Amino acid sequence: MKLITHHLVKFGLVLVALTLAFRAGLSAMLAAHQFSLTWALSTLYGVAVFMSGWIFGKRDKVYFPVYDIGFRFHLATYIIFMLIAEVWHLAGFQSQYENMNSVHITGLSWGAGLLLHYVFYRIAGRDSLKGLKRSDIFE
Amino acid sequence: MSEKDKQFYELLAAWEETYKKGQLTLWIFLALKDGKKYVDEIKAFVEDASNQSMTCEEQSLYRNLRKYQHIGVVDYERGKGNKGPERKYFFLTALGRELLDHFVSRNINLFFNQKVKDLLKTEEPL
Repeated sequence: MKLITHHLVKFGLVLVALTLAFRAGLSAMLAAHQFSLTWALSTLYGVAVFMSGWIFGKRDKVYFPVYDIGFRFHLATYIIFMLIAEVWHLAGFQSQYENMNSVHITGLSWGAGLLLHYVFYRIAGRDSLKGLKRSDIFE
Repeated sequence: MSEKDKQFYELLAAWEETYKKGQLTLWIFLALKDGKKYVDEIKAFVEDASNQSMTCEEQSLYRNLRKYQHIGVVDYERGKGNKGPERKYFFLTALGRELLDHFVSRNINLFFNQKVKDLLKTEEPL
């Protein structure tokens, strides 16, 4: 089944742009000791990512209703966020207040949530035929 | 229109709305059993054959055809368009034909037994 749809790819591209902007903003704010502003930035980033996922996810469902209870979009978000965070630190772009450990802790705790989502995705899959929800196939 | 008639037609519309849900697949399959067609032709077939009681948007047809192709009941081949780009001509696969035949024999043919046919004979409509 085609799991990587063009709406997922578009979401991925938007997410890369948002995440790069977030990391750059976060590092700059921390370097400038603007600690309280980082909360606002993080919230803004979270809302923007959620909205993007919502919009592209809805379009994706209209185009081809893969029954994955949002798992593909969640997985894409995890991979892109973690990859950019790792590269950001390996390239030395982080501020003195950021460290790789916090990235890894985020990866582990988020990964546990992602694993749980995967379990639900597999359970939901029992109600599907070839990746489509039984009740969505025929109209 | 009297209040009684208005209520009657509201009830009829509500029933028809529910009744038509789930019928699009059957009409699309019938269109493709009739022969290979591109989307505009499927749309025209469905609307004509159903006496305009079924209408379908192109986008909805494409969405359904993508799903049917994915589950292996419909496929397409590219053919010449009318002075434009190539078109996708959809057709029922062997599995699609078998599925349609079974569906019809289990759910549609029962309307053709004499007892049901007699019951379906309409009296004078309002």
